[in-house]
Amino acid sequence: MLVPDKNYYDLNLKETVSDNHLLGLWRLMKGYHWLYLGAAALLAVATLARTGIALVIRRFVDDVILAGNYGSTLTMIIVIFIGLAFIQGIFTFLSGWLTSKTAESVTRRLRNFLFDHLQRLPYAYHAESQTGDLISRATSDVDAVNRFFSEQAIGIGRILLLFIVNFAAILQLNTRLALYSVIAIPAIIGVSIYFFSKVSKAYEKYQEQEASLSSRLQENLTGIRVVKAFARQGHEQYKFDQENWEKFKLGKKLLSIHSLFWPVSDIICGIQMLSSFFIGALFALNGEISVGTYLAFTSMVILIIWPIRGLGRLIVQTSTGMVSYSRVAELLKQEREPLTTGDYKPEGSVEGEIIFKNVYFAYEKDNPVLEDINFVCKPGEVIALLGSTGSGKTSLVNLLPRFYDPTGGVITLDGVDITRYPRKYLRSQIGIVEQEPFLFSRSIRENITYGVHREVSDDEVIQAAKFAAIHEVIETFPIGYDTMVGERGVTLSGGQKQRVAIARALLKNPRILILDDSTSSVDTETEAQIRTALEHLMQNRTTFIIAHRIQSVMDADLILVFDKGKIVQKGKHSELMKASGMYREIYDIQTRIEVELEKEIASVNI
Amino acid sequence: MSTYNEFEEEQYGKLNAHIFGRLVALLKPHWKYAVGFLLCISMVSAIDSYTTFLSKRIIDEGIIAGSREAIVQTIILYGSVILLQALGAFGFIYLVGILAERVRYDLRKKMFNHLQKLSLSYFSETPVGWIMSRLTSDTERLSDLMTWGILDITWAVINISTAGIFMFIINPNLAVIVFIMLPILIIVAIQFRTRILYHYRRSRKMNSKITGAFNEGISGVRVIKALSREDSNLGEFAVLTEGMYDASFRAAWLSALFLPTVQVISAFGLGIVLWRGGMQVQIGNMTIGGIQAFVSYITFIMWPIQDIARVYAQMQNAVASAERIFGLIDTEPSVKNRLITVETENIEGDIRFENVHFYYEEDDPVIKNLNFEVKHGDMVALVGPTGGGKSTIVNLLCRFYEPTQGTIYINDVDYQDMKLEDIQSRIGVVLQTPHLFSGSIRDNIRYGRLTATDEEIEEAAKLAGAHDFIMKFEKGYDQDVGEGGNLLSVGQKQLISIARALLAEPELFIMDEATSSVDTLTEALIQQGMDRLMEGRTSFVIAHRLSTIKRADKILVIEDGQIAEMGTHRELILKKGKYYKLYTQQFRQELEAQYDVLNQPEPAQAN
Repeated sequence: MLVPDKNYYDLNLKETVSDNHLLGLWRLMKGYHWLYLGAAALLAVATLARTGIALVIRRFVDDVILAGNYGSTLTMIIVIFIGLAFIQGIFTFLSGWLTSKTAESVTRRLRNFLFDHLQRLPYAYHAESQTGDLISRATSDVDAVNRFFSEQAIGIGRILLLFIVNFAAILQLNTRLALYSVIAIPAIIGVSIYFFSKVSKAYEKYQEQEASLSSRLQENLTGIRVVKAFARQGHEQYKFDQENWEKFKLGKKLLSIHSLFWPVSDIICGIQMLSSFFIGALFALNGEISVGTYLAFTSMVILIIWPIRGLGRLIVQTSTGMVSYSRVAELLKQEREPLTTGDYKPEGSVEGEIIFKNVYFAYEKDNPVLEDINFVCKPGEVIALLGSTGSGKTSLVNLLPRFYDPTGGVITLDGVDITRYPRKYLRSQIGIVEQEPFLFSRSIRENITYGVHREVSDDEVIQAAKFAAIHEVIETFPIGYDTMVGERGVTLSGGQKQRVAIARALLKNPRILILDDSTSSVDTETEAQIRTALEHLMQNRTTFIIAHRIQSVMDADLILVFDKGKIVQKGKHSELMKASGMYREIYDIQTRIEVELEKEIASVNI
Repeated sequence: MSTYNEFEEEQYGKLNAHIFGRLVALLKPHWKYAVGFLLCISMVSAIDSYTTFLSKRIIDEGIIAGSREAIVQTIILYGSVILLQALGAFGFIYLVGILAERVRYDLRKKMFNHLQKLSLSYFSETPVGWIMSRLTSDTERLSDLMTWGILDITWAVINISTAGIFMFIINPNLAVIVFIMLPILIIVAIQFRTRILYHYRRSRKMNSKITGAFNEGISGVRVIKALSREDSNLGEFAVLTEGMYDASFRAAWLSALFLPTVQVISAFGLGIVLWRGGMQVQIGNMTIGGIQAFVSYITFIMWPIQDIARVYAQMQNAVASAERIFGLIDTEPSVKNRLITVETENIEGDIRFENVHFYYEEDDPVIKNLNFEVKHGDMVALVGPTGGGKSTIVNLLCRFYEPTQGTIYINDVDYQDMKLEDIQSRIGVVLQTPHLFSGSIRDNIRYGRLTATDEEIEEAAKLAGAHDFIMKFEKGYDQDVGEGGNLLSVGQKQLISIARALLAEPELFIMDEATSSVDTLTEALIQQGMDRLMEGRTSFVIAHRLSTIKRADKILVIEDGQIAEMGTHRELILKKGKYYKLYTQQFRQELEAQYDVLNQPEPAQAN
């Protein structure tokens, strides 16, 4: 088959990366090489046909008109003429078709690969990268790579072909004429490269100004209340006008460069063309070339000279395309985390017994985040992690789904080292409900069923939403579960998002649960609802709670009190209450608060 | 932002006399540029046709006639018109380019200035992205049509007609063939261009979806990994890239087919020209140069035709852009000064809400029958659940909105009889999530009073308790706050916005307290700053902190757009109603936070 099968992607693009950008781009085209070379070959045919037409005109003048030889020669020449025009047309089209087929297929494969690549890069990589930077590599840089294939490479090829074919043809007609007609070419190329590199700089500035104009506008719109509150409309108009005017000025500058280049290059090309015409005409006058040759010569000169002007633009653009390629290649080079490798994969679910043995963890060397963590958690138990921000609670739960791996020690699940489970299986056994969960801009239904890899009935979704105490909220929206979340739909509050995430986790039905119980920013009623929802969720599951308040840990089977990456206290509520230490201190505060509240209320009555 | 575009891309507008009139009015102030570029392009275009005619003369009167003199003369003439043409090119690029930039500038300015006059309700109903598209892509599209579009059409029309005239001069019979071909070519070209544009737009739409997918895939990567969504996500994403592939591939191959089609059609015309023309040379009605001229004219006629088709295709979209732009400019502010306004010296005095109702949609009231009075200098605390209507009351007070029923009196004057500027310039507002503008800290504080000196700014910052942390920055007051102030913490932003409000010396002070926790020290500083602001002023606070609430002269518990309870702290506690519940809950939370050994290892240092 001519066109490779279009799977999502059929090639590990990581292997195509090369430090030599051109080689890398060539390898990126793997599977489409012949298509692209074919496009170039067809273009060559089209170019030959175009030049052929000029030569037919020569015959027409010399052999038909000047020879007074009408009749069959005329018919034949006209047939050839139209035939060549057809060939030129068809081959130009086919070449364009193949070029865009290649460019778009290669780009689609690259986009798919990058998307998948990004979601399979380790979490650690994402944590260190800027979202905006990754997006721009995956979108605008990929667009630039697309343009390299669809416009620049083939465009340069087209101009070179035009030059080579026509120059060769003129050489055939008359060597001296041929040499005369290319004298100014280096000057044209030089001027156009100089110009376009200037233009691309000026254009960059213009674009930057466009960006700052936009952000000034955006700032005004998002801060419109402040503007109105201080009645600063005039001031805002003035500030916007400054940016606006600056953009006008930069645009003017860009235009001035353009308005100089085009006439100047017009004149250079014009002089070259005219002197060729002049010399050719003299040759024809002296009988050195025929009238037909003169005609063919003039049309070929035009085909050589004018397109050359565009070469500068393509060369300058290609260099920016190379920069984009290297940015994409950098991303391609990153190592993915394997999802399915692992030698231990039980049938069905795990039991949920988790043991931490001498676990150490650090993001950077010499800066331990977790030190010597040891504890045992039986299936279905609730483990509460208590400690100040940065004491290591979140880092610990990040180890369970293997977002990170311990730097020392072993974590076992059902007695088996978790690194022996395939990541995909392991993660399918774990549910996470975060404090401010990330929801996708899809419908609420899709968000709830997001983690379930099977068809889910409406009843199941509603059931889960009811358990998560979010059903009633959803019902208040005009289109209920089909309501979009985010910019194009409803904006959910933190508490509502959390309950959607709880419904999501309920449907996923994992054996192990990681909860962030922070409910500080919601009112009492909502808090009670979330608490009930969580209780539903925790039933029969091994649960890790990142606790922010003492109430949520009192019922835990095991409480781990963290300080600076170490477990300083460990045990049940009743045990920890007996010992003196951090836990007891925290608890005492609660009682103190109640006493103070009573005092406070009483003080009013006086 | 791009998501809003996609709903509009497909819209087409019809050019009518009214819109046309308004479009022309855009160019009117710069008519000299417009006339200039039209003259230049007309000359350039005519010369284009003329040079082909000159080439004919070189052949016929020079080479065939054997006249060296004629060749030299024609070449010199040719050279001079090329120089003239270059001059014309310089002229039109410069003039039309500047005109285009200028029209953009004018449109943006007009829209921006109008936006400043629109009421807050407009902004809560209209997404920021939508407005941004009006000032960016729509502006671009419209100004392009009005300048480069007109230029291209002028060039094309003049080029075709002058070429026609020259062909007619050379040989009227053959010229007829071209005129028969012309409409066919134009129709074909327009068909192509419209389709190409359609697919091109489609691919842009897909592209913005792809960007959106990347954005979610990257920001939501943690959830995706946790839920093992990789495979299904890739499947969904592949649908997008497939759509993108389809649209851009179609657009690309249609473009690749377009010119060859036009060329092949013209080739038939050329064939006829060669055949008929060749015959006519025999009888002396045609020359070799004449045939060559026809060949050139017909070969190059595809360029003006392409331009006409392109502009025609783009025009419909540009007119739709124009309609949206004019729509924005024509929007009337919903809150504006009445025809007759009362002169207002100040807004110090009692404030009274009388039977105030407010709704966006009639069957969905936001504020229901609000009645209360505030004495000058009093501090009012608004408390109650989120969404209960506290913010709306504040917006009504600032006259960002006006009551849909009932009246708000300031000093016994209906505030709708006052001038908007008189009210709003005398109010100081500190928002919950304070909005700062990018620039230095100094600039942001100065926003309160533009004429303030640096000393006054520092004074205000000291009063607000912001001075100390500002001085800790390397550049002090010249420290950049980042976009939207995001280089500063919420607490810092709030301190700066208090300083800003202090500098404005407002007569009425409104504050929406932050719910998000700030560290104790900053908290104490904010409290201090608020105290300073409330001194001697009537103030309304959407309160979350007990210390603020307790201090209020009047507490309004707002629930479902109504006053559920009203009174002083003491009265309401004794009542043991909603306020009591709210208060005790808040009390526990605050003390927990304050005592929390978990997150606040060092005990609070609040004074």
